[in-house]
Amino acid sequence: MRRHTRRIFNVCYRFTGNRTEAEDLTQDVFLRVYRTLASYRSAHGGFATWMTSVTRNLLIDHYRRTKRDRVTDSLDDAMPVVENKESVARRPDEQALVGELSGQVQSALTRLSPELREAVILRDLQQLEYIEIQRVLAVPEGTVKSRINRGRIELARILHQMGVRPS
Amino acid sequence: MTWICEETEARLSDYLDGLLEPAEQAAFDHHVNGCARCAPLVASVSHVLGSLRRLEPVEPSPQLVNSILTATQGPQTWRNAKRWLRGLQSPRFVYSAASVAATIALLLTATGFNWRRPKLADLAPATIYRNADSWVHVVYARSTKFVSDLRVVYEIQSRINETDQNPALREDTIPQSSPKKEPGHTENSNPSSPKQQNRADEFGRNLRVLACEFPTLSGALVDRRVP
Repeated sequence: MRRHTRRIFNVCYRFTGNRTEAEDLTQDVFLRVYRTLASYRSAHGGFATWMTSVTRNLLIDHYRRTKRDRVTDSLDDAMPVVENKESVARRPDEQALVGELSGQVQSALTRLSPELREAVILRDLQQLEYIEIQRVLAVPEGTVKSRINRGRIELARILHQMGVRPS
Repeated sequence: MTWICEETEARLSDYLDGLLEPAEQAAFDHHVNGCARCAPLVASVSHVLGSLRRLEPVEPSPQLVNSILTATQGPQTWRNAKRWLRGLQSPRFVYSAASVAATIALLLTATGFNWRRPKLADLAPATIYRNADSWVHVVYARSTKFVSDLRVVYEIQSRINETDQNPALREDTIPQSSPKKEPGHTENSNPSSPKQQNRADEFGRNLRVLACEFPTLSGALVDRRVP
């Protein structure tokens, strides 16, 4: 339960960039899973894949619901979201750099379109295989690869515009 | 194999994920090393990929799990009650409960509890004690009698065996009315029947003595008399 909670929360947080929204969405995911557990079939993939699929559907619904309430994104208004977990092995200056970069990456993620964002999150953050992402998104494998590729390139472009350069 | 920039951009993820064939990999590297547009693209996307994979997972608040459980399964007290009730369904508990119930039923039956017409008074401790006490006495008396009967049977059997083994004892028991056998003299009579008859007579005498003292045994032992 805790393992799934952590994983689903991270997917929701990386997608929304907002901790409160991520917790609410995580709770909604578990409620939906609890109510529709009878509809789960192992032929559709593993249980974790099915949960991720439910999460993705709720995230898209949430995105569409809040689209009209969202202000137009602007790079000048970008506020990097700094992560709470800090590594004690790093020096303070390194830690600050890592935290800042993580915040910038998170901010850039939320600027991607939903289709590219979910593909990059599932592949590069959740380390799912292409076949699992194909089941979650219900699109062909070619589309999955194309979205991941375009998402990475677009993310690099956004970070470049934010002034983040490869060292 | 020659690569163009559009192909480099299209296959960039395959290159970064190590999915290119060796020949494709070589052509890709050859193009990127000499292309002013593709080289920075590959470098920046590689950097982004590294940053993404170094992102550490975010921990949810500790209350999240509890709020999920409350939303799905109800408040904490009700969850504890359901967990306790589920424990009652475990096989170990069911077997233990069945054993205890069987033991109580056995004890009640042994103490004379009437299952067809149960009365509350039968469950009173004094009644249970009285029934158990009388039952113990009956069992003790029956077992003592059984051991005693066995001893009698054993004594009879051992006497019969002594008579068979010791001919002198047998001759002492032969009654005077039977004719004495001269050596070498054969009589026109069945030599075995008087012997058997004498043994049967003695056995019958012993049985009659026993019958007087042990009436219940007499029925079984008399049946064994040789006709």
